[in-house]
Amino acid sequence: MKNGNMGISRIAFWLGIGALGLLMLLLMVQIDRQWTRMNDITRLMQEQAQDIRSTRGVLRNLEQTVRTARFNTSEVDGRLSDTADRTDAFERARLATQQANYAQGDWLMLAFGSGLTTLTPLVSGDAYSSEVQQYVLESLLVRDPDTLEWSGLLAEDWQISDDGLTINFTLRRDISFSDGIAMTAKDVQFTFEFIMNEAIAAPRSRAYLSRIERVTALDNYHVEFVFKEPYFNSLQLAGGLTILPEHFYKRFLDEPRTFNESRGLLLGSGPYRLKDPENWTPDQGRVELERNPRYWGPVDGSFDRIVWRIIENDSARLTTFRNGDIDVYGARPREYQRLLDDPGISERSKHFEYMSPTAGYSFIAWNQQRGGKNSLFSDTRVRMAMSLLTDVERMLEEIFLGYGQPAVSPFMPGSSQHNPENQPFPRDMEKAKRLLAEAGFIDRNGDGILQAEDGTNFEFELTFFQDNDDTRRMVLFLRDLYARAGILMKPKPTEWSVMVEDLRQKNFDAITLGWTSGIEIDIYQMFHSSQSMENGDNFINYRNPELDATIDAARGEVDEEKRMKLWHKAERILVEDQPYTFLFRRNTLAFVDDRISNLEKTGLGLNLMSVPVEIYVPADRQRNR
Amino acid sequence: MLNYLIRRTLLMIPTLLGITLVVFVVMAAAPGGITAQSLVDGMELEPESRRALEEYYNKLYGLDQPAPVQYLRWLNNISPIGFEREPDGTLGTFSLWKGADLGTSFRYGRPVMDLLAERLPITLLLNLISIPLIYAIAISIGVQAARQRGGRFDVASNIFLLGLWSVPSMLAGVLFIGFFASEQYWRWFPTGGLMQRETVDQTFLPLFASGSDLLIAVACVVTVTVLLIAAATSAPKIARQCGGFTIGALLGYAMAWDLGGQWLGGLHVLLAASLGLLTSLLAGMQHPGFRIALAGAVGLGGGLTLSRYLGVEVMQGGYLLDRLWHLILPIIALSYGGLAFLAKLTRSSLLENLAADYARTARAKGVDEETVLWRHVFRNSLLPLITVSATLLPSLLAGSVIVESIFSIDGMGKLAVEAVQTRDRELVLSVTLISGLLTLFGYLLADIAYAIVDPRVSYD
Repeated sequence: MKNGNMGISRIAFWLGIGALGLLMLLLMVQIDRQWTRMNDITRLMQEQAQDIRSTRGVLRNLEQTVRTARFNTSEVDGRLSDTADRTDAFERARLATQQANYAQGDWLMLAFGSGLTTLTPLVSGDAYSSEVQQYVLESLLVRDPDTLEWSGLLAEDWQISDDGLTINFTLRRDISFSDGIAMTAKDVQFTFEFIMNEAIAAPRSRAYLSRIERVTALDNYHVEFVFKEPYFNSLQLAGGLTILPEHFYKRFLDEPRTFNESRGLLLGSGPYRLKDPENWTPDQGRVELERNPRYWGPVDGSFDRIVWRIIENDSARLTTFRNGDIDVYGARPREYQRLLDDPGISERSKHFEYMSPTAGYSFIAWNQQRGGKNSLFSDTRVRMAMSLLTDVERMLEEIFLGYGQPAVSPFMPGSSQHNPENQPFPRDMEKAKRLLAEAGFIDRNGDGILQAEDGTNFEFELTFFQDNDDTRRMVLFLRDLYARAGILMKPKPTEWSVMVEDLRQKNFDAITLGWTSGIEIDIYQMFHSSQSMENGDNFINYRNPELDATIDAARGEVDEEKRMKLWHKAERILVEDQPYTFLFRRNTLAFVDDRISNLEKTGLGLNLMSVPVEIYVPADRQRNR
Repeated sequence: MLNYLIRRTLLMIPTLLGITLVVFVVMAAAPGGITAQSLVDGMELEPESRRALEEYYNKLYGLDQPAPVQYLRWLNNISPIGFEREPDGTLGTFSLWKGADLGTSFRYGRPVMDLLAERLPITLLLNLISIPLIYAIAISIGVQAARQRGGRFDVASNIFLLGLWSVPSMLAGVLFIGFFASEQYWRWFPTGGLMQRETVDQTFLPLFASGSDLLIAVACVVTVTVLLIAAATSAPKIARQCGGFTIGALLGYAMAWDLGGQWLGGLHVLLAASLGLLTSLLAGMQHPGFRIALAGAVGLGGGLTLSRYLGVEVMQGGYLLDRLWHLILPIIALSYGGLAFLAKLTRSSLLENLAADYARTARAKGVDEETVLWRHVFRNSLLPLITVSATLLPSLLAGSVIVESIFSIDGMGKLAVEAVQTRDRELVLSVTLISGLLTLFGYLLADIAYAIVDPRVSYD
């Protein structure tokens, strides 16, 4: 304290030294960043040099051809006429580019509600990673969003043999992966063999593809899929296979562990690519795709980049959307209703309600056999009565605010699997009571509750997943509905892992769940009696020989028309027998930023995420980035 | 001392075993337990693929074996000495240097070590900034309050800190985002994450349009800051209060104007008045250190704004500033609770010692109050702070679950919660093992620190 001045000057000296050191450190980091940037540029230049070299090769060949005037006209003609009668997967994207205000540029900013674990195909299982992968990996065929028919993407033509066991694909000739190496039929063969390799952690895909016996590359542009048995969905199985580049993934057959534990090994032929196909890590907190500069397709993606941020907190995600930092916000029904009136949101966004075919349906499953004994619900009349009592319309209206539609059967309305003659169950209390009385349930002691002949009350437990508010509200609503008919329903909120255990042991009275859906789906696992073994998905012990026969016949039928007849029959049985009470299919509700143009609802839902990319930002609304 | 250290270290082993055993038993006994089925989560899955996945998990993690066997297998994996593990899950030969392996996470399918290594730096960054900040502010407030016991500063800081302490950080975090990161109110900060995507392509340090711009900016900041600090240190109290009120009122008005774009309204008056009052109170504080810190902060902001108006153009904000900008809200949310607690702790322990006999003796001998405080009392009052610091090490690692998830920061806290939610046993066990180890280590360090600070404590 006595040498105050000296103290201060000494402090100032050390502060100065500290500041200088800090500055040096910061400069070092800065230079380090310059190095990484330089590396990026070097890599880009190498890629371009490679491209130039290959272009030179093609030109030399062309020159040779022109000089010798030896054109292979017949083949070219044949190919052209072939492609003419098949629709091209790029039709809609091409239409988008012809719009007056079409422009390339800007970034598409999206958000995920939870973190991604890995982007590596096959290893990843969640919906988030497949959303990213669909921009990078391509399959042989895609569904046309308007007609829901298959159209060629990587394949330009395909033939199915008469017995339905063999499918031959002819690939397009101009396809290259995003690293510039051409794609051939060998890559298709490799993809199948890669998935089938036991060392690769892809049990899910392996089980799915186990019906395929082999995939053979006949030459560079023809590939043959051979099935073990006739299967109705064989074209989807083969055509939906996303093709992995052999030169990139092959080395992981020797080191499968590296592949199984990898986080970002993603390279494909799609319109977008990961900047670095090997080193993406989840700790970056975002996924970022850039436009593939070597994309083979006739229409490039419109966005320069597609970026997904990870924002777990709901209110933070909404605020980020409000601020215009992300372009899409998916809402729950109540929130959606509230936000529709919010001027800040409606000013800068469009809103969409649509039904995606894969969204699936929810249901109440009635267990017909618990602990080896027939349960209340083994009687068809009781199940019918329960369905008659379940007021699906009102539940939709009050809990989901009308954003959905009643489900008739597992088959999607609008798909040819569904027969429009089959209608949702009406609500009819009187008929339900009559049916219950027929089955022997009458209020015998005047307490308002139905009793069986031996005097036991009609009561059961409804198991449901506890962490979903909407489901909880729905179950409480159902309890009231059933109580009015004199049925005691006890809600049983259950944790997911407990629920799985209950399902496995078939230890429940009734349960409410959901299954995913699709354009043409298989119902073998859920309703065929062979699947009622322990661990099977026919967890309600449902046995109906007529349905079994119909399902078996439909699965083996390759002819579409005949098969649809069989599916219609199966659907009728399901509706008449009500093993499940089918509840509803819910709408997806989303707000999308105003600057994104050409949004449209198609047979596959909203075209927001469809690939080839059809949406764009007009030039005057683009943000400079 | 060495003897003591070795004994303590060896004692850690049974404690850690106990911790992991309890965690393991709790997880195994939870309804549903950990089975391959529970790992396959998600309500809607294609039936066939689900089954295949379950079989795969059973094979990989040995989940179909009895629980005690599973625990022993896990112990064998983590201990550096034991049986080697073959790739197919069976045990190999006994080895003395097989190395510890924390296992593979169920959910991520990746080694737990990798996951921890990924998340740790982020949590460390947050905590290495917030903990020194908490200590510096808490100690200075605590000391000041103890010196003016019963005075205006003491009462005001008491009320204020109690208020802070009672606000739950999840509410504060959401409010911060709602008010200070939203288009609806003031969009001053980003809503979450650790960086803006655009800055990846930018320079590290801010890039100015020209060298002269940089000079102007530095000059502005230095002048304004120096002037303000000079005023804060030497001006009389009444002048400081008036000046503080003016600055606060101006800021409040600017805030309201930013929001509505109108020239005058109820909100303008309210904000200007309340902010003005707050700053005038702060400017009127007795302790010069606070005033200097405050004036420095205001000067920095003011100088930057001034240089902006003088036409200084910043071409790129740069990576560093962007990172700092993203860290501000999470760090405030992370530190205010601990700040209140530590300040109160400092204050009470200082008061106790100020009233102690040795302090009175020192005063009686004619030692001035400054020296009594800093030389005698302060050092003795550090003991409770050391006790608290023992819990800091694990919290460094555990991170703040709530703050991390609100601000979308991928740190250890988020990892731990996800692990518990998804019943990712290997990950939960590893996280508890490591935080248990760090807690024990923290207590050991605290005990050593006691011996250093307080010569009366000896372990021999």
